[in-house]
Amino acid sequence: MEKEELKKAIYQLIEQSAGKKKYKQADVIKHFRQQGIPDADTKAAIRELIDAGDLIYTYFGGSYIELGEKRKGT
Amino acid sequence: MTKKYDTPLLDELEKGPFPSFVTEIKKAAAKSAMAADELGQLEKSFRDKVTYWKHGGIVGVRGYGGGVIGRYSQLADKFPGVAHFHTVRVNQTSGLFYTSETMKFFCDLWDKYGSGLTNFHGSTGDIILLGTVTENLEPLATVLSMNGFDLGGSGSAMRTPSCCVGPARCEWSMIDTLDITYDLTQEFQDELHRPQFPYKFKIKTVGCPVDCNASIARADLSIIGTWKGPIAIDQDKVKDYAKKGMNIQEEIVNMCPGKCITWDGNTLNINNADCLHCMHCITKLAGALKPTPPFGAVILIGAKAPFVIGATLSWVIVPFMELKPPYQELKDMIRNMWDWWNEYGKNRERIGELIIRRGMREFLEVCGLEPTPELVREPRNDPFWFWKEEDFEKKPWEEFLK
Ligand code: HEM
Ligand code: HEM
Ligand code: SF4
Ligand code: SF4
Repeated sequence: MEKEELKKAIYQLIEQSAGKKKYKQADVIKHFRQQGIPDADTKAAIRELIDAGDLIYTYFGGSYIELGEKRKGT
Repeated sequence: MTKKYDTPLLDELEKGPFPSFVTEIKKAAAKSAMAADELGQLEKSFRDKVTYWKHGGIVGVRGYGGGVIGRYSQLADKFPGVAHFHTVRVNQTSGLFYTSETMKFFCDLWDKYGSGLTNFHGSTGDIILLGTVTENLEPLATVLSMNGFDLGGSGSAMRTPSCCVGPARCEWSMIDTLDITYDLTQEFQDELHRPQFPYKFKIKTVGCPVDCNASIARADLSIIGTWKGPIAIDQDKVKDYAKKGMNIQEEIVNMCPGKCITWDGNTLNINNADCLHCMHCITKLAGALKPTPPFGAVILIGAKAPFVIGATLSWVIVPFMELKPPYQELKDMIRNMWDWWNEYGKNRERIGELIIRRGMREFLEVCGLEPTPELVREPRNDPFWFWKEEDFEKKPWEEFLK
């Protein structure tokens, strides 16, 4: 999978699960591993999404990855 | 300044011979509305026996998953100054050395962006800057980084590594705790700022078993300096201690956990093969006894105060590791254990708990470590050895029958 495509897929995963399931970074990596994506690729893609502010780390008893809009909303 | 609130309960805490945080907050309140309202809310908390802080929330700096701990007041109408009261963790220097210029920088910084209240240092080791508002976080992080500082860790991340003062000021230090801490901090920037673990992970490094940073009780990974050579003895100095009134038999010989010291009133002898490297005799007879090289470190895993099974000290996994830059062996081992923990750890499960759940044997395999006698914590309970299919094929005794 191309990096941009992977980034989109990660964003969609988080977007679609918003309010239903919270993902930690390791959960996202495991999710895409099942589709044959190397862990390092997923990690690098998450990094770019975070740096761009599309996704953010949140904290609720543990650290999760959620949509970037959430920060603006609070 | 005029007093904003009456604080009879807090005032009690100014009595007595000890430094008082109340006195300090009052000083800060003279120029900070935030500190003043902090006092007001705290007095009310004391009176009502209720904490009025709201936990968590989503605050932070772009690209960072930690370093800021969001706090809001539930009584923002009453105490508007503390409507936001976020805590910022800043990565401390190794060994906590600062120039006065740096201290002034932090004081001015925090008068400008926060409540003026700081804590040098928090129990994590970080510089703690108490009380700021969400809007100030981005500019604050920028100013910090322009001045060579960075946020520390929080959340499910590697926490800011910390260490004892080590070789900078201490004669006992057998490893360069300052360099190791700095090096690991740089190496694991991603793990520090981008929370990616099941839970927190703390690394604390101390130069010797005196363990001035309490790493054995507080760190998921404790790195404790130790020695392999014999303990060097200056017999004249030992005799001096005896002459000055030390009861060597009582205070040294009887206290040795290895039961490896003898004293005939004239000569002190140590059977180094039985020494447990606790440092008791060496620190008591400072100047007379000295550890000798090779120097290195014991690596231990898994301490935590309130484990499900109760407080747990960390557990020896490597009895002796030479620690020379670039510390590759240590770094590789840490990465391997993190991979395993990320794979199997449940949410909020510390690595020590995972080891208890899945077994030390599996953990050792993951880290590429051989079981050694030093790992046995409870005799007859920790064999770490289970026969595998291929072991039945081997006939190791044949070697001895030759
Ligand atoms: C003079 C003869 C023997 C003496 C003095 C002796 C002594 C001991 C002692 C002191 C232990 C306890 C070790 C511990 O603390 O774990 C022990 C364990 C044991 N002994 Fe013996 N023993 C003798 C003969 C035998 C014989 C003939 C057998 C078997 C045919 C045997 C089988 C065992 C086993 C299976 C254990 C348990 C090992 C374990 O803890 O896993 N012993 N023996
Ligand atoms: C059906 C036969 C047997 C059964 C079911 C049996 C079962 C057990 C069990 C459950 C233990 C405890 C293991 C542990 O605590 O880790 C044990 C220990 C032991 N058994 Fe047996 N056993 C049998 C026969 C024998 C025989 C025939 C001998 C000796 C000739 C023997 C010698 C021992 C010894 C020395 C121990 C060790 C005690 C210790 O750890 O202190 N057992 N056995
Ligand atoms: S732990 Fe040991 S080396 Fe470090 S400061 Fe304390 S006594 Fe010195
Ligand atoms: S370091 Fe501890 S175990 Fe070793 S000889 Fe001294 S008191 Fe005994």
